[in-house]
Amino acid sequence: MSKEKIKKQIMNLAPVVGLLLLYGVFMIMGTVKDINIAYGMKAIINQSIVVAVVATGAIFIYTLGSFDISLGASVATSALLGGIVYNATGSLLCMFLANIGVAVFISLFNSILASVFNLPVFVTTIAMLSVLNALVLVLIKVNGTGSEIAVPAEAVKALDTTGFKVLILVLFLVLCIFVFNFTKIGRMQKMLGGNEICARLTGISGKKMAIIGFAMAGIGVGLGAFVSTIYAPTLTKNTASSVGMDVIIAIVFGGMPVSGGARSKITAAVIGAFSMTFLGQIMTLMNFNSGIGQMVKAVIFILVVFVATFNQRSKMLPR
Amino acid sequence: MEKKEVIVEVKHMDKRFGSTVALNDVSITVRRGEILGLIGENGSGKSTVTSIIAGMQKADGGEMLYEGREWHPSSMINALENGIGMIVQETGTVPGITVAENIFLGEIEQFKKGVINRKQMMRKAGEILDSIGASHIKPQMITGALDLQDRKLIEIAKVMSKNPQILVVDETTTALSQIGRDIIYKIMEKMKEENKAVVFISHDLDEIMNVCDSLTVLRDGKIIVTFAKEEFNEDLIKTSMIGRELQGDYYRSDYDGRYDSEVVLEVQDGNLGDQLIDFNLQLHRGEILGIGGLSHCGMHALGKVLFGAEHMAKGKVLCHGQMVKDEAFAMKNRIGYVAKDRDVESLCLNASIKDNIAAGGLDQFAVSRFLILPGREKAYVQKQIDGLSIKCQEMNQYVSALSGGNKQKVVFGKWIGRGSEILILDCPTRGVDIGVKQAMYQLMYQMKKEGKSIVIISEEMAELIGMVDRLVVMKDGRISKEFERSNTLSESDIIQYMI
Repeated sequence: MSKEKIKKQIMNLAPVVGLLLLYGVFMIMGTVKDINIAYGMKAIINQSIVVAVVATGAIFIYTLGSFDISLGASVATSALLGGIVYNATGSLLCMFLANIGVAVFISLFNSILASVFNLPVFVTTIAMLSVLNALVLVLIKVNGTGSEIAVPAEAVKALDTTGFKVLILVLFLVLCIFVFNFTKIGRMQKMLGGNEICARLTGISGKKMAIIGFAMAGIGVGLGAFVSTIYAPTLTKNTASSVGMDVIIAIVFGGMPVSGGARSKITAAVIGAFSMTFLGQIMTLMNFNSGIGQMVKAVIFILVVFVATFNQRSKMLPR
Repeated sequence: MEKKEVIVEVKHMDKRFGSTVALNDVSITVRRGEILGLIGENGSGKSTVTSIIAGMQKADGGEMLYEGREWHPSSMINALENGIGMIVQETGTVPGITVAENIFLGEIEQFKKGVINRKQMMRKAGEILDSIGASHIKPQMITGALDLQDRKLIEIAKVMSKNPQILVVDETTTALSQIGRDIIYKIMEKMKEENKAVVFISHDLDEIMNVCDSLTVLRDGKIIVTFAKEEFNEDLIKTSMIGRELQGDYYRSDYDGRYDSEVVLEVQDGNLGDQLIDFNLQLHRGEILGIGGLSHCGMHALGKVLFGAEHMAKGKVLCHGQMVKDEAFAMKNRIGYVAKDRDVESLCLNASIKDNIAAGGLDQFAVSRFLILPGREKAYVQKQIDGLSIKCQEMNQYVSALSGGNKQKVVFGKWIGRGSEILILDCPTRGVDIGVKQAMYQLMYQMKKEGKSIVIISEEMAELIGMVDRLVVMKDGRISKEFERSNTLSESDIIQYMI
């Protein structure tokens, strides 16, 4: 095997090795500190799933070389409107459909708005972030108690199991892997992210692909909102407040190239989400407070981007 | 003959890329007051050896001496600061910044007095552009808005502003029109007169024989022979390059310019700024139609218009009587387009050979035009790799690691694989060696015989005369002359209608 190929394999496997390493450290520290490992793992899965589901859908946006900063706010809005629908109908199915419908609508609105005004999509998502944050406050004020919208805990209790949440993640992951790796859509998205001009001159429609990409991301957001509601049925303005940033960090942690393109991979989202949660748990076990934890995450984020792009930069700079 | 002073000496240099041997015991001597030509097929090692001299990469073994001292440049910037400048084969400018910022990239500090003195920077950039004869490029222009030729001239200006002792020109002239080429020739002549040295890489044999004082031939990473000017012989050089005599015809040998009367693609009353003015053109089944002219005559825009990638202000493009609305429509109607700016418009460099070829043929191998089965995809791509003899380690190799000729073969594979009936080729043999060129010409001829139609847009007159059934010469957005295929047609007959 050539040196270059070995290097490529190492780069490909690094995120998985990183995840296994974090898992190992968590297990060792958990044993040393004598915590309930099974309970800890359950907590990690619960914490990771919302981010993993949203990030999996968001890979379609990142592959295009774009990003959506409003994903967290979109999860919150979708969850709140889903909660309102449940309280009006008493149907979990209606809530689920509302979650998905609202999220896909917001996502598509972002991409269509960008298309109409011919703006980079991330610009419209910045505007959308403000709008959605305001909408969350309005919804809570008008439809809730003033500080929350609550779905009865008994209604979602049956679904609040690790197995069900993992099932949702697995099903969505399989769908995304299928679309990304085994249909024309994935190939076209990667080409667009790699070279937009070349993709256009190969008959690939950037607008169509952006709409499909954002629709997939919307489904992920809707599912994330549903899982989030099941896990914490009392919805407040803080619901999913950290999801937006966590998704960005998870995707990069998982080995997704920041510029998108041909090297994009769906699994980066899940690997990244779990790696990040393990890291958070390890820091908790080390008695770091949350502020220090955030700082460590930020440093690791920069390190990962630095290492992932080092080869590219060292090749480009001399020119 | 009196031997001139040696300025750079490369001794027994080796370089490998994975399992590929790029250089094997290569020794080269560059002398002051001389233009040394390097010639060889794509992947023969020309760019590798010069890029090592110019600090772009490091050798695995061997020795380099520059002005008698050991030479180990740490980067291209370091080499340029020490007097060795290189103009690279592909784009080396940053698109989103001004021309002046590109010229002084990494050196803007010199204009800093608290804040950057932009006026001074613009003035200095203007002086440098004037000095190389590129006054038409304004320092405040955004680089990305300029065409390939002007971007290349910016690179030349950047290098020449450092007053190098050695200039390496790597396969640059094929991207340029005659005006651009003349600028480079003048610079090279001036360097020679000033007792400096030039290393010139080109696939254009006539050009390299005209310009160079000596010529070194590389093949498969080895030095084959070095010819002094008085030993230059076209056939001998070609044979040395490919290791055998070129078998069969280079261009097509017949002068039968017949084709079917059926019109497959046409432009009706086309208008696009000053690029196309009241333009009418018809392409017939089984025809190779040549479009010639100066770089800015509108012919490159015409290529895009024919493919639906650029929309005219007035007029229409019809394929079998139906309006060509966009690229997707063109592809559906089996039109293929090979763009001039290969790295920017035709390839995704950070993707593999497989990704690039497959992107053009998704509707060909996908089940129900949607579902991708890896086995079918690989078989489709492998067929193109084998059919076009693309030199690569594997189909998952990044396109950016391929030589110019092999990159172009990947682009051809993208369009031929999907069974294109109409091919629009904009400078299809740019940066391609004679072996690959011959293969491409024979492929085009074969396609014509199969009833396919081809438009060749080219600045190489010999290529147009050698290959086309009908030649349309363009000037200032209009057709200035049309020639039928003939064995008496010469370059001078054509040039008078271009200028």
